[in-house]
Amino acid sequence: MATPTYDLLESVTLATAASSVTFSSIDQSYGDLILVAEGELNPSANADFGLIFNSSTSGYSMVDMMGNGSATESQSEGNTYADCGTYLYANTGARQIVTVNIMDYAATDKHKSFLARNSSSGTSGRVWAVAGRWANTAAITTVKVEPSSGSLANGMTFNLYGVAK
Amino acid sequence: MSLIPFGFWAASGAGGGGASYDLLETTTLATSASSVTFSSLDTLAAGYAHLQIRAVIKTDRAGNLDNLIGRLNGDTGSNYSRHYLYGDGSSVGSASSTPVDRMYMGRLPGDRTADSFSPTIIDILDFSSSAKNTTLRTLNGNLDGTDATEIYFTGNAWFDTDPVTSIELYGNSSNLVSGSRFSLYGIKGA
Repeated sequence: MATPTYDLLESVTLATAASSVTFSSIDQSYGDLILVAEGELNPSANADFGLIFNSSTSGYSMVDMMGNGSATESQSEGNTYADCGTYLYANTGARQIVTVNIMDYAATDKHKSFLARNSSSGTSGRVWAVAGRWANTAAITTVKVEPSSGSLANGMTFNLYGVAK
Repeated sequence: MSLIPFGFWAASGAGGGGASYDLLETTTLATSASSVTFSSLDTLAAGYAHLQIRAVIKTDRAGNLDNLIGRLNGDTGSNYSRHYLYGDGSSVGSASSTPVDRMYMGRLPGDRTADSFSPTIIDILDFSSSAKNTTLRTLNGNLDGTDATEIYFTGNAWFDTDPVTSIELYGNSSNLVSGSRFSLYGIKGA
């Protein structure tokens, strides 16, 4: 028998700019998490849309592919956060949509992996697809959204969903 | 406006209201297996318009990267195609192959990086139609930590108008290892 799933776990809309947003005590009964964010950043430079799991600042590796309307690019990196695409400083005032699928987040027998899509609109818009790994077998209980520079702007929305498995 | 969480692109949609996006079956391997098959889809997924598979996958292929391969209804004929876009950390590329006797749907790290499983989301569109060929799209990451990380966005076609009743997924001359997880979801249509 089919099992209804894809449940909203928590929703945040910023009334004022914030340096970060944290989802904590995440329900461990689902298979995957899907984080959907929309809005502006207030960067002082190009800013990565970063996620930090369980307050850990080590073990993140990513590969991406990006298109900006005239060229494509792929990079791989290790970082202190899960880099889910970059918001361009020169594109201030535009908006971005970020969707991150965090797979098997409650498992303790595997590294955590994620697939992200990021589209930033505006005159310097870009689209990204990102695959990443957090080399840690701990279950993810907190997800912190924190740009690599600047802040999350007033009005930005964050919705966290659980997908049953 | 419908906000059905369709596919990985539209998984950014709203919650789907539960009744529009349902878990049908999950297989989590307790021991290694040569393949995973979702079968009897004509009954298991009756009433749904589309299917989605969300998976974390690892194989035991020794010392080499691996491919994620799929077949529909057990068809081993050269009745499939694939087109893909990928990023390998240095450049973005695209290629295709058709006709082929299987669906190459992404890449896997093999046994080279312990505990690294490939995140994979597969959409199978209009799977029960008997009036059109079946198309699929997959977003997949190969998160091998040795010397290759890759992201793949792949489109596959099955040039057959039969309704899809089974989906088989496997690696290339390898076994899927324990801990690999495959969840099948049904998505309602209009």
